[in-house]
Amino acid sequence: MSLPTLLEVVNLKKTFVRRSGSFLRPKKTDVYAVNNVSFSIKKGEILGIIGESGCGKTTTVRMIMRLMNESNGKILFNGQNLCGLSDEKTTKVRKDMQMIFQDPYDTLNPGMRIVDILMEPLHAHKPNMTKEEKYQKVKEITEAIELIPAEDFLHRFPHQLSGGQRQRIAIARAVILEPSFIAADEPTSMLDVSVRAGILNLLLDLREKMGLTMLFITHDLSTASYMCDRIAVMYQGSIVEIGETQKIIDFPTHPYTKALVSVVKDLNFFIENRETMILDGEVDSTKKTSGCAFVSRCPHQEAICHNVVPSLEQIDEVQSVACHCFGGLKMEISKRDGALV
Amino acid sequence: MGKTVLSVENLSTFYKTDKGISRAVENVSFTVEEGEILGLIGESGCGKSTVAQSILRLIEYPGKVVKGKVFLHDKELISASEAALYDIRWREISVIPQSAMNALNPVHRIGEQIMEAILIHEHVSKKEALARTKVLLELVGIDRDRWKSYPHEFSGGMKQRVAIAMALACYPKMIISDESTTGLDVLTQSQVIALLKDLQRKMNLSIILISHDLPMVTSISDKIAIMYAGKLVEWASTDDILNDSRHPYSRALLDATPDLVNRDKKIVSIPGTVPNLVNIKSCCRFHTRCPFAFERCKVEEPEFKEVKPGHFAACFLEEENHELTYTS
Repeated sequence: MSLPTLLEVVNLKKTFVRRSGSFLRPKKTDVYAVNNVSFSIKKGEILGIIGESGCGKTTTVRMIMRLMNESNGKILFNGQNLCGLSDEKTTKVRKDMQMIFQDPYDTLNPGMRIVDILMEPLHAHKPNMTKEEKYQKVKEITEAIELIPAEDFLHRFPHQLSGGQRQRIAIARAVILEPSFIAADEPTSMLDVSVRAGILNLLLDLREKMGLTMLFITHDLSTASYMCDRIAVMYQGSIVEIGETQKIIDFPTHPYTKALVSVVKDLNFFIENRETMILDGEVDSTKKTSGCAFVSRCPHQEAICHNVVPSLEQIDEVQSVACHCFGGLKMEISKRDGALV
Repeated sequence: MGKTVLSVENLSTFYKTDKGISRAVENVSFTVEEGEILGLIGESGCGKSTVAQSILRLIEYPGKVVKGKVFLHDKELISASEAALYDIRWREISVIPQSAMNALNPVHRIGEQIMEAILIHEHVSKKEALARTKVLLELVGIDRDRWKSYPHEFSGGMKQRVAIAMALACYPKMIISDESTTGLDVLTQSQVIALLKDLQRKMNLSIILISHDLPMVTSISDKIAIMYAGKLVEWASTDDILNDSRHPYSRALLDATPDLVNRDKKIVSIPGTVPNLVNIKSCCRFHTRCPFAFERCKVEEPEFKEVKPGHFAACFLEEENHELTYTS
């Protein structure tokens, strides 16, 4: 692992205030959307963050992209702390980090032609380019995202494109400034299966060509395993496990990851002798426990789980987990007792 | 082979639009046997939900079922009167709607909503209806005392369970689940799927599971029907679809799905887009995106026929004895 670190997130926190109680006696409680999240991404790597809806994936990305202010913590991009930067400086940094959003139907301005949409980042960040150069660049990038011939597409409006094509334009807009870092927030969740594959392959292709580093957010483990070098699993605002993709899938350690992997494997028809672990209960982010956030749904809990928040600890060079009982022995016992269905 | 519960024959449903007739569903035929789970798969806009609505006769203007027959046991539904349908819906066939969050009335207690369905369709006292409601709630894994709760007091997965309990209210033999797990989290989805499977076993239900999620459907279905652009392209046992599929679209769909275990598998997208179904000419609707398409595919519609016992497909390659192998 000699590659330099591009992005490092240290103890990132975000709290939202939840108002409850009556009009006369308002009550304010803090809800932790993101709680002490730390990870780093090396140059050229794709890190996936997976988790259920509401677990804080998007909030984390929005803080990294400076679309939202953090409550606490540090975000180091190329060694520079982005937290507390002035707007002017943030704009400069943005040239080097771009985002692809979830919904291609919402992110493109319906009143602008594709060519204008793609020109906008150039207008904002490359004032020295001439008009011809800009047009040339836009054409190049449109062809790079496999909308060929580019002239056919550039003068259309977004509504004249299909969902997959729109997402390609959104990707083009993100990479036109040749950033070193891209954050993709569920870029394929709104697309059909047949189109999804094309978008994923395009992203992998661009990474190869442009040496992109990527943060890839998804709720789909199969997609994450296809795209990512490393995966971080989030649950209720904290990372419960992080490690190399193959390790996470073959040897999940945290009970939540185990459940997730077993369920997705269960959906795979070709695997025989499946052991599916179906978790009871639901996520409730308003309840604040003093211990592990997962404790109410965990099949193996000890006294310590209720009282102490587990910290993310390294179990080998490539995998870290936040669980008090990752020792393995305990899991084996409960497996025999039938806690795993 | 069990008894056939539902049989759909040459069902066609068209929509009238400003630009012409949209052939949303055309010549769809399949059957569902007792205790069978049939997965109906297709991309958005391929006509899956229209098939479900046609079976239940819920199609409204500008749509119309123009052709075909639907037999539930021996009763024909397409020509049945509204009064006859009144006896059939809920009691013999019911539907779990797409988003349970919107399917429940927010201002009524969930127990009252389930009771309402029972009271309308069966001659039972309120007391009996309530007792049955409690049993139903327990059946789907919700505490029986929660019948007094309002929908907003439940989470997404619980609401989905309530919707399932509601569909079971009059103990129908056949259930159509229209994308009922879409939008739920993976773990919640697995709970709901396990519940459906469990109920199917306990009550010997027949289920049509409509979804776009191929891995999810293959894990639970006995048979799978794949739709493309308003037509059924293949219908076979789950095993055959996965290992011996006879239609390029089914193959392409499998190739486009990432595999968790086999990470080296390169996923391939299907080039092109779904054709516009308004005034579509007679042709194989997949020919614009099919890597094997030849002249005949552009002018003639392939017939949906049996290629081997219990395995149906609509493709000319089968007749021409082409090998369906991918070179890409």
